[in-house]
Amino acid sequence: MTLTLYVPAATPLHRLHPVTKLLALLGLVVAAFVVDRPELLLGLGLPLAVLLVLAGGGPHLRRFAPALVLIFAVTAVVWTFFYGAPTRAQGLQYGISMGIRLATFLVTGLLFLTTTRMEEVAYGLRRLGMPYLVGFTLTLSFRLVPVFFESAATIVQAQRCRGLDLRKGSWLTRLRRFVPVIVPVFIGALRRADRMAMALELRGFNSGRARTRFPRPGPGVGDLVAVAVVAATVLVYLSLWQRGRGSLGRFS
Amino acid sequence: MTSTSGVTVRGLTCTYEGGSRPALAGVDCDVPPGSLTVVMGATGAGKTTLARCLTNIVPCFLPADRAGEVLLQGEPIADRRVGELAGRIGMVFQDFEAQLFSSDVTQEIVFGLEHTGVAPEEMASRVRDALSAVGLPGFEGRDPGTLSGGEKQRLSIAGLLALQPPILVLDEPTTDLDPVGRSDVFAVLAGLRRERLAILLIEHDVGAAVAADHMLLLNEGRVVASGRPREVLADVSRCAEAGVRPHDVCRVFAALGLRDPPLDIGEAAVRLRRAGLVPTASCGAPATPHEDAILRVEHLGHRFADGREALADVSFTIGRGELVALIGRNGSGKTTLARHLNGLLRPTTGRVLLDGKDLRTRPLEDVAQRVGYVFQDPDHQLFAASVTEEVAFGPRNLGLSPDEVERRVNESLAAVALEARDADPFLLDKGARQRLAVAAVLALHPEVLVLDEPTTGLDWPEQRHMLELLRRMQRAGRTVIVITHTPWVITEYAERVLLLAGGHLRYDGPVRGFFADPGRVAEAAFQAPDVTRLGQALGCTPLSVEELLSWMPREPAR
Repeated sequence: MTLTLYVPAATPLHRLHPVTKLLALLGLVVAAFVVDRPELLLGLGLPLAVLLVLAGGGPHLRRFAPALVLIFAVTAVVWTFFYGAPTRAQGLQYGISMGIRLATFLVTGLLFLTTTRMEEVAYGLRRLGMPYLVGFTLTLSFRLVPVFFESAATIVQAQRCRGLDLRKGSWLTRLRRFVPVIVPVFIGALRRADRMAMALELRGFNSGRARTRFPRPGPGVGDLVAVAVVAATVLVYLSLWQRGRGSLGRFS
Repeated sequence: MTSTSGVTVRGLTCTYEGGSRPALAGVDCDVPPGSLTVVMGATGAGKTTLARCLTNIVPCFLPADRAGEVLLQGEPIADRRVGELAGRIGMVFQDFEAQLFSSDVTQEIVFGLEHTGVAPEEMASRVRDALSAVGLPGFEGRDPGTLSGGEKQRLSIAGLLALQPPILVLDEPTTDLDPVGRSDVFAVLAGLRRERLAILLIEHDVGAAVAADHMLLLNEGRVVASGRPREVLADVSRCAEAGVRPHDVCRVFAALGLRDPPLDIGEAAVRLRRAGLVPTASCGAPATPHEDAILRVEHLGHRFADGREALADVSFTIGRGELVALIGRNGSGKTTLARHLNGLLRPTTGRVLLDGKDLRTRPLEDVAQRVGYVFQDPDHQLFAASVTEEVAFGPRNLGLSPDEVERRVNESLAAVALEARDADPFLLDKGARQRLAVAAVLALHPEVLVLDEPTTGLDWPEQRHMLELLRRMQRAGRTVIVITHTPWVITEYAERVLLLAGGHLRYDGPVRGFFADPGRVAEAAFQAPDVTRLGQALGCTPLSVEELLSWMPREPAR
C-alpha cells in the first residue's frame, strides 16, 4: 500500500525546482480563488488537468473522478439553494462556478503531488522558511502512515480470527469493540517510535555537528518558463478581479 | 591500547533502572578491525544490552547503572550522546521498518550525511559506495516501502556505512528475513570484514557463528565462553545450558566420543569416514499417510486488488492430525495461502473445503472457531490487561457461558504452560507472549491450527517449548500447519512439506523426500539442516542428530 501520489517519471514538470512548484501551487490556488466566472475557472482547470495527464497522473484522475463529480454536484446544489442569491438561476450559476473552483483546487493539488516527492515538498517548504523539524516530521509521517495502516489491517484480521465482529451492535458497542484493535495498534506504534528514535540518533540526528545539505540542481530554464507562465496567469486573474470583471456580480 | 583496536570492553557491568539483577556482569570483549565476533546466548543473557552499551543507547535512552570501560578505537565513550558517536560506530537492529525514514533510497542514505556535516560535494560518492557495499546499486530512486525485507535491512546498513564507521554492531539483523535475505546480509558482512571493519553480530542461530573469527557465549549477563567458534561450539553441553542450540556436527561428534569437531560439513564427513563411523542403515520410517481429509484446497488462485497474482492453481489435501510445514521465500504466497485456510481471504479462483464444505458459504466467525490462526507477531493481537482476560476474549466472542469461558481459559493456559494468570501481557517476554497468543486461539477449540512463523525471534529453549506444544496438539488429534523458515523445525517436527514459489505449489510430500534432493532444496533457496547435509555426505538423509546416531554402527569398523 502506498500513500503518496508521486509518480516517478522524468517529465519537465517533475524536474521543476520544489520552490517553483510550491509557488506555482500557491499562485494557481489564488488565481482560482479570486474569480467566479465559470469560463475563467475552466480556463485554469482544464489546462491543469491536461498537464496532470501528461505528467503521468492519468490514473489519479480516474481514481479521483468520483470525488471530483461528487464535490462538483454537492457544491453546485448547496450553493444554488443556500447562497441566498436573488434568483435561483443566479444561485445555480454561482453553485456551478464554486463546483468548478473546488475541482480545480483538487486537480492543482493532484498535479503537485504527482510530480513532487515528499522530500522535495519538505525541502521546498524549508527553503521558504519552514523550520527543519516540521519538514522532517512531515516526511517521516508520510513514510510511517502506510506502515501504521498495514499493521492496523493485520490486527483487525487477527482479532476477527478470535471472533471479533466489528459490524454488529449499536454505535457505542461497536466503538467499544474497537478497543482490541486500537490497543495493539498504539502499543506497536509506541514501541516502534522508541526504536526509531534510537535509529535516528545512530544515524547522526543530534550529532552536534552543523548540518550540511545534499547538493540539488538549482532552478533552470524550465523554472523560469513555469514561473513566468504562472505569474502572468495570476496577474491577469488578479487584474480581472480588481476591475470586477471576474465576478458574477454582487448580491445585496 | 593502540589506536588500531576496534572495540575494547573491560569489566562492563550494567543494571537497568528497576532491574533486580545486572543485565551484564563483568563482561570483557575485544573486536579487532577486520574481524567478526558473534555473540550468542538465550533471551535475557545480555546480548542486546552489550550492543546498546557500545553505542551509549544505554544509558542515554534506557537509564541504567553502568560500570566498566568501553573504548572505541582506544577512546572512551562515556558521556557521549548517541548522535555524537555516529560515524564512529553503527548499529543495526531487527526491526528494519524502524530504521528507514525516507521515501527515497538516496535520501535515506543522505540523511546521516547531512546530519553529521559531511561536505556536500562528497555526498554523491558516499551514497554510491554505500549502496554498492550492500549490493543495492541501481536502487537510487526507489521508494524503500517497495523493497523486500532483506533489501530494507541492507539499505539500513548502507545508511550507516555512508558515515564510514570503523565499527558495526548488528542486533539480530536477520531474524525477520527469509533464508535468501539472510544470506545476502551475511554476504555483506563478509565484504565489510574484508574492508577491515570490526563487526559484532548478535545471532540466535549457530550457523552464523561458523563464519566468525570469535565467539562470545553469554549466560545471565556473564561471559561463559569466549574463543574461536570451533572451540566454543565444541562444548555442546555448555552451549545448551546457555540456551543456544548446539551445532549439529558438534553434537554428533560429542555423542560418538570424537574430539575437536570441525564446523565444515565436508571435513566432518571425512573425519567420520576415517574413524570408520559410516551409517549402516540409510532410511527412516516412512511417514504414515493420513486418510481422513479435513482441508481440501482445489485449484486455488488469488489476485490482489492491484492485479498482482499471489497464488495460481494451488491444490492439496490436508489429513486430519497431520503436522505440515508450509515453506517458501518471503513473497512466495505462504501467508496469502494460509489466510485462505480460515476464510480470511476469499479465493479469486478455485475453492477451499473444510470437511467437504466450501468456506465461502460460512461466515468468518464460524470458520475461525474450527481453523485457528496464530499471526506471526503476537503483539498484533494482545490487548487485554491480564493474561486470563486475553484468553477469555475469544470464547466470550463466541457467546459461551462464564463457566465454559473459565474452563477454556484454564485448559488453554495449562496447554501452553503459562502460569502468570494475572500478569500484564505486554510485560511478558517474547516467548511467553507468543505462547499466550497460541493459548488465545486454542481457547476457541479449533480442529486445525495455522501458525505463521511461531518460532521467529525466540531463543532455542522457547522455540523447543513452542514446538513441543505443537507436537502435543497434534498428538491430541489436532491438525497443525506451520509456516517456517527454520530448517530444523521442519525436519524434527513436521511430517510433510508444502513448498511455494512465486505463488505456485512446487513440492508437496514427505519431509525426507524434500531434503533428499539437494537440487530441489537449493532451487527453493533453502538449506538443509547441518545434520542432514552431514548424512548426505555419508550416503543417507537423516532428519535429526538422534536419527543419524541411531544409524551409526555400535563399534567403529576397523
